[in-house]
Amino acid sequence: MRRDAFHTVHPAVDLAFFLFVMLITAFVLHPAVTGISLAAALTYAICLKGRKTLRLCLTFVLPVVVIVAVFNPLFNHAGTTVLFYMKNGNAVTMEAVLYGAVSACMFAALILWCSCLTAVMTSDKYVYLFGRAIPTLSLVFSMVLRFVPRLFARIKLVSEAQKSVAPSFGKSPIKAASHGLSVLSATVTWALESAVTVSDSMHSRGYGLPGRTSFPLFRFDRRDAVLGISMLVCFALSAAAMATGHIRFRFYPSVKYSPADALSLIGYAAFLILCITPLLLNIWERASLARALGSGSFSKKTADGG
Amino acid sequence: MPEKRDDRRRRIRIIVTVLVAAAAAPAAIFLGVSVWNDRRFYLVSLIIMLLSAVPFVLRFERKKLRPRELVVLAAMIAIGVAGRAAFYMLPQFKPIIAVAIITGIAFGADSGFIAGAMIAFVSNFMFVQGPWTPWQMEALGLTGLLGGLFFHRKNAAPPKTVPLVIFGVLSVLLVYGPIVDTSTLLTTYSDVTWELAGKVFAAGVPFNLINAAATAIFLLLLAKPLLKKLNRVQVKYGLLE
Repeated sequence: MRRDAFHTVHPAVDLAFFLFVMLITAFVLHPAVTGISLAAALTYAICLKGRKTLRLCLTFVLPVVVIVAVFNPLFNHAGTTVLFYMKNGNAVTMEAVLYGAVSACMFAALILWCSCLTAVMTSDKYVYLFGRAIPTLSLVFSMVLRFVPRLFARIKLVSEAQKSVAPSFGKSPIKAASHGLSVLSATVTWALESAVTVSDSMHSRGYGLPGRTSFPLFRFDRRDAVLGISMLVCFALSAAAMATGHIRFRFYPSVKYSPADALSLIGYAAFLILCITPLLLNIWERASLARALGSGSFSKKTADGG
Repeated sequence: MPEKRDDRRRRIRIIVTVLVAAAAAPAAIFLGVSVWNDRRFYLVSLIIMLLSAVPFVLRFERKKLRPRELVVLAAMIAIGVAGRAAFYMLPQFKPIIAVAIITGIAFGADSGFIAGAMIAFVSNFMFVQGPWTPWQMEALGLTGLLGGLFFHRKNAAPPKTVPLVIFGVLSVLLVYGPIVDTSTLLTTYSDVTWELAGKVFAAGVPFNLINAAATAIFLLLLAKPLLKKLNRVQVKYGLLE
């Protein structure tokens, strides 16, 4: 993953951003709103993960989008503007085509926001945020994250040890399968036993005793406050414009949308700013870094890199 | 026998929890119809699921499990996650449901729910997180819960193989499959018609069948040895008394 400034802000701000954006995206089916969200999600996902995002888009998002966009008009015949009739007599309407396209974009935007969420909200942030409210679950969550790579390492270890003891292992498919099972069995036994060791060590370090403090990894500083307030204001403005009907789009029975007025424009602008908050932060960080380092070839390079 | 009564009391408490959660569902649907005045199926169902998970999370936190039980539970969840990752190249052919059921049998319905939900949540970090994550968590959590509800008995012999496998197949076909298919329907089409629902569920049938077969095979292979190993750890270190 590339260096991302939004990754360094307070976890609560990170989580609030994704909640706000995904809530509006999932709630408001409107070509402009969905389009803004999709464009911002795609840009941010590419900034975060580069080629991986493109692969996700081509192998998964795009096929689903096409299927959804094509299937909706085939199965939904509401709408008044008939484009043509299918062989079975059902009408394919312009409204259904539009609806399918917009809801497919909404789905794509949600997946892309989720991929950004996975990249930005790392497990330590969840544990930090929810460690107070649901301590036991957070602890289990972080232990699972620790156990999984250890399991794989152990599987490799056991499998190599058994191969050197009995070289005939893994020659035929049946032997390979029985080899796999015995490796698995040994690993599972080890996992359960080592779990008890872990818990003994937790016990001896005073897990569950009252009055223990936790080590905070994050500090809520002025930048987080500014970001949080600006996100809250943007969310409130756009949500207000959507709730009062200034940003509204009706698909059925005929397409009808609210005319652009001052409030709706404010709403669009607020939602756009909300969606590109991480990108703006990244640009701002780069600019201030460049300023701090003074002019010259180095600052140019950092400003262009990534 | 006090143990038997304990079992029954625990089961009654879980059923009451489920009923309370079920009562929250009509409230959410009413909210969706009256306030949003729209067919926001996705959001309404998401709220229902969150509400239904709250009692389990609270009970799990309230129970104050000892570190030993916690860590062994975490190890079981990790085994489920690793199992899903290990079979990544075979779509739907995953041991996760079997592991969730086995965890439910060994630890009880509550922990089965938590383990199932956690397996889905954590393993989606390796696959793709998406709008379907809450549904997978709910579906897998419920199979773990049902496994515990049907087969968890204190100090009893592990369940017979045939009923266990039948239960596994049914839990995929009646619980896991329909919930995940519903998520496909709701996340991809906000505009739901009965015709569309029929098509989506029909398209899900082969996946559910593969999944059911995988669950049966993994239950056959894993249930006995895993429960035996868990029992061994339990006897050796005095867990879950």
